[in-house]
Amino acid sequence: MTMGEAQVYDLRYQRYTGPREGRGRSRRAVFESGVRTVLGVGRGGRAKILPALLFISAMAPAVVFVVILSFVDNVAGDAASGFIPGAGDYYNFVGRVLILFAAVMAPELLIPDRRENILPLYFVRPLTPVDYLSMRFLAFFVITLALVYSGQIVLQAGLILTSTAPLDYIRDNWTDGPRILLVGAAIALFTSIAPLAVAAFTTRRAYAAAFIIAAWLLLGAAADIPLSFEDNGVPDQVALIHAGRVTDNVNDMVFDRTMGGPAGEAVGRLHAAWPIASYVLWTGIPALLLWSRYRRLRL
Amino acid sequence: MPPLLEARNLTKHYGAAVALDNVTFDVDEGVTGLLGPNGAGKSTAMKLFLGLIRPTSGAASILGEEPYRSIDVRSRIGYMPENESLPKNVTASEFLMHMAQVSGLPPAQARVRAADVLRHVGLHEERYRPMGEYSTGMKQRVKLAQAIVHDPVLALLDEPTAGLDPDGRQEMLRLIRRTAGAFGVSVMLSTHLMGDIERVADAVIVLESGVLSHQDAVAKLTEETETLLVEVADRREEFAAALAVRGAQARDDGQTFTLENAREEDYDRIRDAAVESGARIRRLSPERRELTDIFRSAPK
Repeated sequence: MTMGEAQVYDLRYQRYTGPREGRGRSRRAVFESGVRTVLGVGRGGRAKILPALLFISAMAPAVVFVVILSFVDNVAGDAASGFIPGAGDYYNFVGRVLILFAAVMAPELLIPDRRENILPLYFVRPLTPVDYLSMRFLAFFVITLALVYSGQIVLQAGLILTSTAPLDYIRDNWTDGPRILLVGAAIALFTSIAPLAVAAFTTRRAYAAAFIIAAWLLLGAAADIPLSFEDNGVPDQVALIHAGRVTDNVNDMVFDRTMGGPAGEAVGRLHAAWPIASYVLWTGIPALLLWSRYRRLRL
Repeated sequence: MPPLLEARNLTKHYGAAVALDNVTFDVDEGVTGLLGPNGAGKSTAMKLFLGLIRPTSGAASILGEEPYRSIDVRSRIGYMPENESLPKNVTASEFLMHMAQVSGLPPAQARVRAADVLRHVGLHEERYRPMGEYSTGMKQRVKLAQAIVHDPVLALLDEPTAGLDPDGRQEMLRLIRRTAGAFGVSVMLSTHLMGDIERVADAVIVLESGVLSHQDAVAKLTEETETLLVEVADRREEFAAALAVRGAQARDDGQTFTLENAREEDYDRIRDAAVESGARIRRLSPERRELTDIFRSAPK
């Protein structure tokens, strides 16, 4: 019988003498934990249901559009025709899906840390409240941005591959590239900031989600109902209070299209500066509220 | 060597309420107890040193730096809060790894440190269980573990024995002593329990109603006095008479004879009185001060 060489392990407490990477590592850790929280990584199966549904909901329209395209002949240069869904159509749809999911998932990033009193443990480490907030926001923004861009990549790949002359299609529609990037970023920014701002003012995730969805529906109704009457005497600017159309307005303007509905038509009649200003306010004010809330947080 | 913590005329008001009033003290290496009743300003003092709140006036410095100005100094301090402060659906292992990284440790080192520290606080077997399933004692140990996972120079522990049963309390105090001894981490712990201070602290700072009432080494505050205590098993009256004959001024409370300002010859008198009366001495010792005396003598 052969015997291996014995080894003695010293299990006494050892001082840490390795590297300390300071604030950069601290920020990165908060960002990575935010991504893991949103995607449900390291949690049970239930935590992964919502992210999976979000992914399916964001990708499904792109796949459906591609299937439709595969049944339509001669797409080259014709993506703007009424029969063929394009980048703008996808963004209109996915913008709505994202705001619904953000209402449920974004509060998960902020509320548990506040409700369970974890924040003091962060802020006694090399991390400021601004670092914490910006990394939590960035985690959600990066995921939503990845989702909207992924859907667009699938859609654009479908448009190119189903066209009779792919190279001609690319040449004729190259300006869609920067538009897709711009509107995708605008959608991801709005759908990240607004729900996080709401989540900063409650310790109940359900309240945050209910508030966001209620605001979305009620403000939409408040804009659509008066504008739906003929000769209503209501200024077109009322359409800008429609929270569900904030990203649609940018999308319509950038892709030079007008979506139906009273609010959509009213925004179409306004100067371009109005929807831009509306978007800036709809994202800027929640961002300010969020920052102010965490700056004044009593620990 | 400069003190680890310095409070200079430190004052904190919450509206009209004064939490700390013009407090000045230093904290050096070792274990320092911050003692005082509820509402004395202990937690406020800790939060000022940690940079979680700002002073109304005066200055608090930690490791020679102002905590709310220097971000880097925070990677060398640890904090165990009084309230629960633990995510319920996360495992202790994952939580400690995350907190080590937030303190600036790279992921690989954070993993090793988390496992190491959890073993040292006695939670190695339970490290993959969600912390919502932990008992109060286990939660307190995780809170201590997250405070030292990044191997700080100084750990501030706010009421570390709160809510623990007697066994849990002894275990926590043992861990704190070990943290300062074997782990080499200086500790400041706040508590309203004098027994905790007597058990683990080298020095004590006493706060009452936001005012500093005492600061000294625990050994000095509990040093022997010149009062001698004698207990006899039997023949009390004969013993008392024999003492009186020898000129020893002893006060008898029915259980113990107390000799104030005892001198060397009083030991001989006690011995001779015991021999003469035939009383058996059960106890003969100088009286030690207790920390409770500090509160009794503190100015109101």
